[in-house]
Amino acid sequence: MSSSSSSEILIRKLQQISELREADLAILRGIAIQEKAFQSNHNLVLEGDKPSQSFVVLDGLVGSTKYTGEGKRQITSFFVTGDIPDLHGLHLSVMDCTFSTLTPSRIGFMRHDTLRAICEQHPRIATALWRSTLIDAAIYREWVTNVGRREAFTRMAHILCELICRLRAAGCIEDHVADIPITQAALGDALGLSTVHVNRTLQELRRKGLIATSGARVQAVNWPDLVRAGDFDATYLHQRNP
Amino acid sequence: MARYFFDSGDLNYVVEDQVGIECTGLEGARRAGIEGLKDLTRDELKDFDGHELFVEVRDENGSKLLRLSIRLQVEAMR
Repeated sequence: MSSSSSSEILIRKLQQISELREADLAILRGIAIQEKAFQSNHNLVLEGDKPSQSFVVLDGLVGSTKYTGEGKRQITSFFVTGDIPDLHGLHLSVMDCTFSTLTPSRIGFMRHDTLRAICEQHPRIATALWRSTLIDAAIYREWVTNVGRREAFTRMAHILCELICRLRAAGCIEDHVADIPITQAALGDALGLSTVHVNRTLQELRRKGLIATSGARVQAVNWPDLVRAGDFDATYLHQRNP
Repeated sequence: MARYFFDSGDLNYVVEDQVGIECTGLEGARRAGIEGLKDLTRDELKDFDGHELFVEVRDENGSKLLRLSIRLQVEAMR
């Protein structure tokens, strides 16, 4: 794909969360985005790195991950097409978590010095990027609540609702059917659940007629009931056109 | 690595694992089962004396290999 299409992915995302004018879009189209494709489970940025660039997810699914001292992995958030997961690296020099692809992904890298120069000259773009990191933080808050306080069934339904909402907003899916080709283990690491309990919980969601699965494809068969089951309120995603 | 299936629940209600998990031998399946039982307990343990929860491990042929269980015991101290 051409670099202009990666710019359009970035623009679509920023327009969804903020007011941008035509002049801003022209500036955003001018950002050099270096595209690379990765297999799943590739570490894009490591905890402790001092990156000189940030990346936008062009296609696929990326996770922010932390490891405990004994090596247990917690996936702390998902990132979908259009998201800029390590944008905070623009201001915080040392990366405090690792970003890895959870599925085969296409990633676009943007230089920090370019982004800094744009932010200094174009306050609406600076605001849009700021909003992007604020919404990421809102998602992290929701995940702490989800993993810490909801029982497994609600927790799983919630994360599926969130993914479907975000994939729809990103234009990756049109209805409530999502290809989520992540492993049971990765899903468990995102939910703080054992793989055995992940299987049980998905089975319960299927049995209650809330989802149907075939391979990596998850279909919300009954969206209103899945939303209720997941205690899901999309306010924290702060989408302008949900 | 082999695929094992983990059915879990109590005497009234069991959820059958239709997907299974790749584990390293029976010991790996046992470790996975215990982690599953801990999660099950957190979600499903009912407040009545003697409530038992379990995870049963099957192999790909459906043979039952292992049963892990935990039971609530409440005793008055006075």
